[in-house]
Amino acid sequence: MHELAIVEALIEQVGTELDRAEQKGAVKRLEIAVGRLSGVHCDSLRFAFNLLSPGTIAEGAELSIREPSAISRCRQCGTSTEITEMVIDCPLCGSPEIAIEKGRELLLESIDIED
Amino acid sequence: MKLIAAKSILKANDQLAVENRQRFDAAGVFCVNMVGSPGCGKTTLLEALFSHLRGSLRLAVIEGDIAGSIDAERMEALGVPVVQINTEGACHLDANMTASAVAQLDLTDVDLLIIENVGNLVCTAGFDLGEHLRIVVLGATEGDDKAVKYPAIFQGSNALVISKTDMLPYTNFSIPRITADMKRLAPDAPVFQVAALKREGTPKLAEWIAEEKTKR
Repeated sequence: MHELAIVEALIEQVGTELDRAEQKGAVKRLEIAVGRLSGVHCDSLRFAFNLLSPGTIAEGAELSIREPSAISRCRQCGTSTEITEMVIDCPLCGSPEIAIEKGRELLLESIDIED
Repeated sequence: MKLIAAKSILKANDQLAVENRQRFDAAGVFCVNMVGSPGCGKTTLLEALFSHLRGSLRLAVIEGDIAGSIDAERMEALGVPVVQINTEGACHLDANMTASAVAQLDLTDVDLLIIENVGNLVCTAGFDLGEHLRIVVLGATEGDDKAVKYPAIFQGSNALVISKTDMLPYTNFSIPRITADMKRLAPDAPVFQVAALKREGTPKLAEWIAEEKTKR
């Protein structure tokens, strides 16, 4: 459900970025990064974007979603591993002391504007 | 042309949260964001914490609910200053709603502000409200697999409170399992066991919150 709130925030931020860069052209494409452990569902995000973008600055823009992998690092042996769930032991040494390094991103990466 | 933004989508919320925190710090207010499923016992825990802390700290409460003011009335009955936020469908509080609620409180009369978030283990995880501590409450009747199933909320929390521990004999809830899972997600977060209606374990939690306050 909070995908709606996230899309609202995204559209608001696109407006802020365009104002800052003093750009008035139509938005063609938005590139965002949604980490695999961000807790955000990409299909719901697309659905919310189609629902909320008409009538806003982001109307008609293509939403391109990159899904960065989740990476954990073992606090004991230092090994970095790609993971698919958060509650795991280190695959190398078996230690439960792991830190999530990547995969929680929720970023507006770039905006393509019509010239 | 391509405009490179490279900013968090929730930047607007995060900025407002920083402002809320600055406001709390300036007023000497310690703020706790309490999260957990509907029915895990957040309001009962608040009542218990108030009974333990009323002599030493001036408490205020912000109640977040989709509708109604049942929780706010419970706190009001105890004489606690309380502001009710009705999210009208939204599944979590955000920093903006928090700022509006805080504006209705006189912070000079408050030492400890506890925000009871909307009952939800998913959506509340992404939104910083400006709190100093986030405490996640999990009822012993909810199952010991919740940290694995809803990791984000546990990972970002500073303490886990297992509530309704007087029900443990009637469940297959394993304290060692949830403790081990929490350790993986938040190695520094303490785990408390409480039965709030009987005020068991709640004095220790109250003591910990008061101690955390002195560290700020």
